[in-house]
Amino acid sequence: MTEQDVLYDEMMDDGSDTPHVETQTEKYMLFVCDNLLFGMPAEAVVEIITNHVITPLPLVPSHVRGVINLRGQIIPIVDIRRFLGRSDLDSNCIIILQVEDNQIGIFVDRVEKMVDIAVDSILPAPAQNSRDLVCGMCSLEDGQTMLTFDCAAFLEHT
Amino acid sequence: MSAGSDSILDAFLYETNTLLEQLDSIVLAAEQQDTFSEEDINTIFRIMHTIKGSSAMMEYNSLMTIAHRAEDLFSIIRDKTMDVVPEALRPELFDLLFQTIDFFRGELEHIENDQPLTEDIDTLLQKVNRMINQINASEQGAEAPASQEAAPAAAASSSGSDAFPYALQVFFDEGCGMENVRAYMLVNSVRDLCAETDFTYEPEGVGSDPATADQIVESGFLLRFRTQEDRTNAIHAVTSAGAVRTYQAIDTPAPEKAPDSQPKEAAAAPAAPAAQTAPADKSPAPAASAAPAAHAVPAAPQKAEPPKPEGGGQHHKESLISVNLNKLDHLAAVVGEIVITESMVTASPELKGLKLDAFTKSARQLRKLTDELQDVSMSLRMVPVSGTFQKMNRIVRDMCKKLGKQARLTLVGEDTEVDKTIVDSISDPIMHIVRNSMDHGIEENAQQRIDAGKDPVGEIILSARHTGSEVIIEIKDDGQGVNYDAVLNKAIRNGLASPDMEYSHKDILNFLMTPGFSTNTEVTEFSGRGVGMDVVKRNVEEVGGVVTITSEPGQGMTTTLKIPLTMAIMDGMEVSVGGSIFTLPIHNIRQSFKITDADLIRDAAGGEMFKCMGSFYPVIRMRDLYHMEGGVTNIQDGILIWLDAGDLSYCLFVDELLGEQQVVVKPLPAYLNRFNIKSHGIAGCTILGDGNISIILDVSNLYTAAR
Repeated sequence: MTEQDVLYDEMMDDGSDTPHVETQTEKYMLFVCDNLLFGMPAEAVVEIITNHVITPLPLVPSHVRGVINLRGQIIPIVDIRRFLGRSDLDSNCIIILQVEDNQIGIFVDRVEKMVDIAVDSILPAPAQNSRDLVCGMCSLEDGQTMLTFDCAAFLEHT
Repeated sequence: MSAGSDSILDAFLYETNTLLEQLDSIVLAAEQQDTFSEEDINTIFRIMHTIKGSSAMMEYNSLMTIAHRAEDLFSIIRDKTMDVVPEALRPELFDLLFQTIDFFRGELEHIENDQPLTEDIDTLLQKVNRMINQINASEQGAEAPASQEAAPAAAASSSGSDAFPYALQVFFDEGCGMENVRAYMLVNSVRDLCAETDFTYEPEGVGSDPATADQIVESGFLLRFRTQEDRTNAIHAVTSAGAVRTYQAIDTPAPEKAPDSQPKEAAAAPAAPAAQTAPADKSPAPAASAAPAAHAVPAAPQKAEPPKPEGGGQHHKESLISVNLNKLDHLAAVVGEIVITESMVTASPELKGLKLDAFTKSARQLRKLTDELQDVSMSLRMVPVSGTFQKMNRIVRDMCKKLGKQARLTLVGEDTEVDKTIVDSISDPIMHIVRNSMDHGIEENAQQRIDAGKDPVGEIILSARHTGSEVIIEIKDDGQGVNYDAVLNKAIRNGLASPDMEYSHKDILNFLMTPGFSTNTEVTEFSGRGVGMDVVKRNVEEVGGVVTITSEPGQGMTTTLKIPLTMAIMDGMEVSVGGSIFTLPIHNIRQSFKITDADLIRDAAGGEMFKCMGSFYPVIRMRDLYHMEGGVTNIQDGILIWLDAGDLSYCLFVDELLGEQQVVVKPLPAYLNRFNIKSHGIAGCTILGDGNISIILDVSNLYTAAR
């Protein structure tokens, strides 16, 4: 067992607030949607695509923009802005996510950057926030607040 | 790909399942005749033998024990012919065999699901043992010739090792484990080559006593033969068995040796090459290779036993391989993409207006080859429905016994080939419908049938046939038919129908397929387990098929399953509405018309109709149905397509016909299922040559959605 593993194990055992060990971090991808700064766990992100033709589907809620053909795969696209009840913005940025067995694309305003976030710095979100898509909040170094995107809830509620 | 032990397990499961199917059909056929032919007995013996061997190899002891006893049973029957089994005992024998088959199936299922095997096999074992005893008892009473036959055998074995001068000492690989079982399997394969009385082995009891394993490791496993020729044959079996490190032939001089064995040795010579070639192309898997090697030899002339029927089948087997279905799925997907890519290349807009003779010629050839490739790859996935159909024989038989009814199953068109996935998914529905027919369809007793002027033996006809792009499976019984009043009452009781509505017979039949409907108030063993025809309907619809029921009181009931031959690739017609492209299955299209507003007939409710060939057909406008923004509204600007699906017929109004294209059907992402768009006529999607997505429409759901 390497030292790193030992540390990791200790952390898992003692809970997250052990002060003396190095803090465990996770990578998050920041994206903006209607002035909200979301953080997406990096492991859920497959790729980011722009300028893709979306084929609309009939009889689906308006936030389901349609499907795209990504190298032979058919992937549904959900518009976060529309889901949150905001007006459309002229953007073309799609993040492809892997949530459980599903690949699904979300339509966002723009992607910012990747950040490392200490796991224990993410606080639970107040319940009434943004239609169930947020499972935690975290203050970033530059003073902004990141809302952690809840992929499972997203799949369930959209 | 899968790990080594997994693939051995897969092979074991596949092989054993195949054998059980074969066994099932033999026993069913034999039961009709009330006897086993010599050929059947040999086959059953061999099947049990193979199952025993391979189960021992896989260390499934319960399977091995049962197979072992069943083999013993059949070795008695084989030696003394079917006459040894008295008439009175035969039904019991058949039942016992079916129980054994069921036991094996159950155990295999456990193995597949990683569940522990049944430990308690005593009941079945006792039954088999009792059968053996009964057969032996009856035989001792009556059959004098049999005991005569046994006498010289006993005499021979009593003369001890002197009578078996040709010994073979076999050493297994060090540390290979289970030496006793390996030795036992070796004995079994040798037993196929020469008569039981012509060889002995040492240590004895290798089949049952694990302690002998050590002895075998120490001093080797000793086989003794009466003749040199048997030993020569056995050497081939030994070399083809797995994990054999070395073997040594030891001759013990015996007085009777020289004159007797010399001519036989000559006879053995031509047999030897045959036996050698057989093991040569076998995989080293011991269980699998020992048996075929044994098969190859009996064809040689010196054998007293009649040639085994497997001689011909053996050849057949070698020309077939089993392939993981996942690989075929992958192949089909890749071929589908190639077909599309091919048209993307050859019909590329960049080539427009260029004069490229050589290119066009090559492109045509490529087209031909891709078509051929597609046909071949599709045919790989096609399997005859006979396997599924044959299973129904067993169900009808069991239910006849249980319910005390008389019925026979007639199979028509068993050779009809259907895509493997479809065969798998229709197996349960067919079984359910056959059970329903047996349980509810066929009259309670023969007298009722005679009174109705029918053959006292009920008939269920299971038929399959092709019609162009569909396969039609029909399950027809000549029973009492659907009691419309009873069904309607039940539907009203279950809240599916309202009491003050008038329902047509067709509506009433549809209640049968509504979830939560089951006409039998009691749950029987065979039908009415809470899953009803609604599950049948759902299963069939999952593979893109439709179920229809027709019934004539007193005449029986017919259930028809219409299923597309394959779901992977289909011929489609591309149509456009607004900016969107949709694909209609070509086989649903009857005709298309350009019409003017004057041809359109409107009814009181605002619905539109079109009159064609003396009938009126409703007109559905895609644009309105799907609430689309673009698209033409003037009837003369667009085009009307007359569609047919089952008993539905209607016209669909779209903007434009774009042309015919072969498309690869892709299922919609699972995420979209929550929006229930399937029931609104969207069956899937496909990628067009230019990379755009076209939505594939389901003609019958589209109509239902529009109503």
